[in-house]
Amino acid sequence: MMWWQKLKQLRPRDAAAAIASLRRYITERVPKDKLTRTVWATTFVLSLVLLLLPWLVKLDGHAHADWEQFLGRFHPLIVHLPIGLLILVPLLELAGDFEPSLREAAGFVLWLALLSCVAAVAFGYLLAYGSGDAGAGVTRHLWGGILLTIAVMICLLARPYWTHATSSNATRAYPWMLVMALLTLTWTAHQGGALTHGKNYLTQYMPQPMKRWVTVGFFSKPPAVNSFYTKHINPILDNNCVSCHGEAEVKGGLRLDSYEELMQGGEHGAAVMAGKPEQSLLVQRITLPPDHKQFMPAEGKPPLNAEQIAWIKAWIAAGASSTATTVPGVAIHESQDRPLVPVPDYSALMPELQQMQAAQGAKLVQVSKNASDGLVLNTVDAPASFGDAQLAQFEKFAPYIVEVELARTAVTNASFATLAKFTHLRAIHLEGTGVTGDGLAKLTALTQLDYVNLSGTQVTKAAVAPLSSMKNLDHLYLYNTPAEPAVAVVPDPTPAPTTEKTTP
Amino acid sequence: MKQHPLCTDTERALNVMGLPVPAELKREWAALQTRRHFLGRSGKVLGLAAMASLLGTEALRGDASGASTYAAEGPLKMPYFAPKAKRAIYLFMSGGPPQIDLWDYKPGLAKLYNQDIPDSVRGAQQLTGMTAGQAHFPIAPSHWAFKQYGESGTWVSDLLPNTGRMADDLTIIKSTNTDAINHEPAIMLMNTGNMNAGKPCLGAWLSYGLGSMNDNLPTFMVLQTKLNDKENNQPVSSRLWSSGFLSSEYAGVGLRSSGDLVLYLSDPDGVDRNVRRKMLDAVNAINHETYEELGDPETNSRISQYEMAFRMQTSVPELADLSKEPQSTWDIYGPDAKEPGTFAYNCLMARRMAERNVRFVQVYKRGWDVHGNVTGTLPLLCRETDRACYALVTDLKQRGLLDDTLVIWGGEFGRTVYSQGGLTPENYGRDHHPRCFTTWMAGGGMRAGTTYGETDEYSYNVVKDPVTVRDFNATILHAMGIDHNKLTYKSQGLDQKLTGPVPASVVTGLLA
Repeated sequence: MMWWQKLKQLRPRDAAAAIASLRRYITERVPKDKLTRTVWATTFVLSLVLLLLPWLVKLDGHAHADWEQFLGRFHPLIVHLPIGLLILVPLLELAGDFEPSLREAAGFVLWLALLSCVAAVAFGYLLAYGSGDAGAGVTRHLWGGILLTIAVMICLLARPYWTHATSSNATRAYPWMLVMALLTLTWTAHQGGALTHGKNYLTQYMPQPMKRWVTVGFFSKPPAVNSFYTKHINPILDNNCVSCHGEAEVKGGLRLDSYEELMQGGEHGAAVMAGKPEQSLLVQRITLPPDHKQFMPAEGKPPLNAEQIAWIKAWIAAGASSTATTVPGVAIHESQDRPLVPVPDYSALMPELQQMQAAQGAKLVQVSKNASDGLVLNTVDAPASFGDAQLAQFEKFAPYIVEVELARTAVTNASFATLAKFTHLRAIHLEGTGVTGDGLAKLTALTQLDYVNLSGTQVTKAAVAPLSSMKNLDHLYLYNTPAEPAVAVVPDPTPAPTTEKTTP
Repeated sequence: MKQHPLCTDTERALNVMGLPVPAELKREWAALQTRRHFLGRSGKVLGLAAMASLLGTEALRGDASGASTYAAEGPLKMPYFAPKAKRAIYLFMSGGPPQIDLWDYKPGLAKLYNQDIPDSVRGAQQLTGMTAGQAHFPIAPSHWAFKQYGESGTWVSDLLPNTGRMADDLTIIKSTNTDAINHEPAIMLMNTGNMNAGKPCLGAWLSYGLGSMNDNLPTFMVLQTKLNDKENNQPVSSRLWSSGFLSSEYAGVGLRSSGDLVLYLSDPDGVDRNVRRKMLDAVNAINHETYEELGDPETNSRISQYEMAFRMQTSVPELADLSKEPQSTWDIYGPDAKEPGTFAYNCLMARRMAERNVRFVQVYKRGWDVHGNVTGTLPLLCRETDRACYALVTDLKQRGLLDDTLVIWGGEFGRTVYSQGGLTPENYGRDHHPRCFTTWMAGGGMRAGTTYGETDEYSYNVVKDPVTVRDFNATILHAMGIDHNKLTYKSQGLDQKLTGPVPASVVTGLLA
């Protein structure tokens, strides 16, 4: 019988028996302290090899043999094995409290995790070395992988002291080591994700309030300069090029994530030649036919659109300055809108808010589905019965109201004191009311106020003068008031028909 | 014998409303019951049919078609995002104003007078029955000169001297284009996003999606301009302000162009307001019972419409009372504005409605269908509209309303560069032209003082930045705070929307 035929006849029980006999051999024949020493020594040597790997085989930033890249590209596949297996380990350990056999499995899974870690590091190294990636992101990811592998090895060593605990001081090492390994895993995996999907992948569609918190907390950027480069060129490069030509990956030795790096160029020379767009490598690459081998952005990423290319060309033609605010031949419309300042959360006041509407005949309506856009006070259904006292009732909602529509209501000058407390107000409608402007100066406290309509009231020039100091007040309407009397506008005559024929 | 829950005999059947079944099924059941009731009592069918026709077409359609009688999901009743425009006024120039004579300045055409338009330009363009028989398509340059206006240097025809003066407030779209070449499909497409009748119009979508800002006036009002019999008036019908498959409470409420603004709105002699109130309360109670029994949402629409009519008995006279308008109003709108039913009067009313927070006002001006005698008719049309358009935008602006009111001007298509019928140095005609026409918007988040899109030297094809009817409507919805892809209503198995199933996009080049 050939050996493989014998193998076929083997049953799981036989395999278990073989492993058991091997284990018995080791535990019985090899002296215990010698065994421990051997295992620790092996781990130490392996760790040393791993730690020295980046120096032994340097990542030089040049592409190497094709087979390395071919194998290397399996890294993204293999890399998910250690992730899944390592996450399983603590779950199994915890579940072991209830089902002891699961804890036994944890040891086996940990072994598998170690093997997959080694494989992932090996393939990852082939990928980086083969494709010539040597950016800071790749380096961070590499070190993460190496440290993780070492941490898993230590976990494996420390585990028996935890599962067969004899002395209390030895028991805690394994859980802590496992936690460290998991943290290393998270960090390393995130670095890897940032390499493939780009740094902003996670935060791009994050809800605004969360984003604000995160960006303030973690990634506060230096203030942007008001130049054409900062406002228009850098964002194009950032969105289309920097995932391969940035801090994380430096393909072709070229980085495009800052002005200095862009001007420095890559291993093929300068990317930008100021004043000569046609000779600039950057322009050449993005204007090749999309199926050309050297076309950028590579790897099927969407090409730049005509407008973006035109901006880059014009900017280079104009001298590729980092400070110039305009570029001849490019007129970019910029919205003059101020960003809306979100109002605080008022969801707790909802029941009261509805009651109030019923009582006053005035409504507080949401500006939009987005509650933080604030509320509008709408009095159009019962203007005559809405006066200063009614307005004062809404003081409780003051910080949430962004617009008050008080046109043709019975409010008077006394309402200005109340309105001054509506800190988030952007617009006030007072047209056709009895206000005369006494106390208007109180509104200067409202820093976000952008619109005040006093048309058809008796306000005078002197009364509105204090409002001129308000920086954000762009829309002040005084039509048909003593401050700005309605002037007769006489339209031009429209020409008469030249022939007096009737329609056929 | 065990009763089947869907037994038509409701007296003995299990009440399905009490069963633990999904609410959607219950609504379906209520809708089914409506139909069964209607058909079941076949003995009285004639009487019922007569009654249904008295009640109006909605009642008939709601029962007989059995199509969607409830919304797949309720409307938001507020914008999806902070809007630039809270309300809109749509000046609809029915008939198709000739872009070449008003906006689309083509000085080069003068040299080509009476030459045939090259076939390469016309391509395989479909012709209307009115010019299909013509052997020649002679180029008719505009009879009028153009001037540049404002800081933007916009070229505007001498026919529109006042509109030209406000060029810096306008966003002019020269590249609007449509798929339809005849009035009815084109005007339906412009208003409802579909050439076939039965879809809700822009105003109905707006009132469905955004809700009302004024409880005493309809959310969507329509003003028609009195006819001028010297003009070629194409008919407009209430299909254009219909709510389609949406509940009829979202349909536009038309004001009459002469006589009472709303028929039968004033109480007859001997009926005072208290009597009217009592009568309405009784009718409402009966209608509530009907709704409880049949669950037809149209019954609720009916109740809310009766209530709206009651409130309009006081709000409409106040709306139409122009006695408190200052002299400056008459100075700018002109003496025509004092006469109900004129375009100038309608523009003034539109401003008054905007002040009262009516969400959407549509003013129809007919007569732009200038197939012949352009030099005779066009000045009449421009005299009626030019000053009033200027007055409306300027008045809204000086009163601080233009910031959050969107004004839209446009027709259903443009007109041909070639003459329909004979071309003489004095006169010419222009046929329907769907491939390009000019529209404008003002206020409400639009980029003032810009011209968007370009046509070729013949004002025949769009050569830059085309704006389809879908894009046009998507942009209007955007200005009002609505994502046109999200405002949908399930009907006939489709999530229907104003911009239709073909992809549409908001024209960001028009936005401030």
